[in-house]
Amino acid sequence: MFNFAFSSISEAILMESQNGQNHGIYVWSVFFIVFGALILTFCIYKNKIRNLSKKIK
Amino acid sequence: MIKKFIHQFASPKTYLKQVDKAYSFIFFTSLSIYLIAIFWGLLLTPEDFVQGHSYRIIYLHVPASFISQSLYLGMAFASAIFLIWKVKLSAYLVRSIAPIGAMTTFIALVSGSIWGIPTWGTWWAWDARIISTLILFIMYLGLISLHDSFTNNEKADKFLAILVLVGSVNIPIIKMSVEWWSTLHQSASITITQKPAIDPSMLYPLFASAIGFTGLVICLVILSSKLHILDRERNKSWVKDYV
Repeated sequence: MFNFAFSSISEAILMESQNGQNHGIYVWSVFFIVFGALILTFCIYKNKIRNLSKKIK
Repeated sequence: MIKKFIHQFASPKTYLKQVDKAYSFIFFTSLSIYLIAIFWGLLLTPEDFVQGHSYRIIYLHVPASFISQSLYLGMAFASAIFLIWKVKLSAYLVRSIAPIGAMTTFIALVSGSIWGIPTWGTWWAWDARIISTLILFIMYLGLISLHDSFTNNEKADKFLAILVLVGSVNIPIIKMSVEWWSTLHQSASITITQKPAIDPSMLYPLFASAIGFTGLVICLVILSSKLHILDRERNKSWVKDYV
């Protein structure tokens, strides 16, 4: 259960499946979209709260 | 008695004090769980026999999809409390959850579309599950626009709460769409009544990613509600002391 599914970093990036297709492009695209959206949303809210707090002060 | 209890503990000032205390703990715990779960899911779990490695998108797609619907249910619950007991904090929460709900629904739609390319051979299909989720996304955007179009905030809160309750009919439709209609989207692999159709080695990181993602989204709701409360109550003396 805790063994690496890939034997090298390039294999993990490409994620070549048994049918010969490389699925890495799909998996890593979604990974970056999800983390990008989360980081961006956190930054936007933190920034907005900071600006509003300054205005109220 | 319930009304007295709610009014006592649901003042915006008390709410902000409580969530400020809990925020750091929720954030760091959820972030740790989510990062471990994603590492586990994307790099340690074995390849799926049918879908190959593309199934790993499940660890990013399913939590977002689950949360996008749960947030709407949370909004509906808060709307009901606002309409019945006139709790101001509930109205603030309804408006604060909407943009976070839109963000998670967007993630669910985009990740599902990308997952569709290797598995279905298309990024989009006019399928009941996908359309009902798209409707949810449009509803979130519509609710935000509707609230912001009012100049009178009290009226806006009331209209928003009513519309949220009307729109909640879409949630069971999303849930049951794969059962009621013949869809390209697969039926649920995890149900309360039956044994999961996923192997435990793939299931545990899925649970962990759902818990981690939920915690991070709760943090976003806290930030969003904090912003909304400070904006709406900016003329109150306690806000000046708070900031």
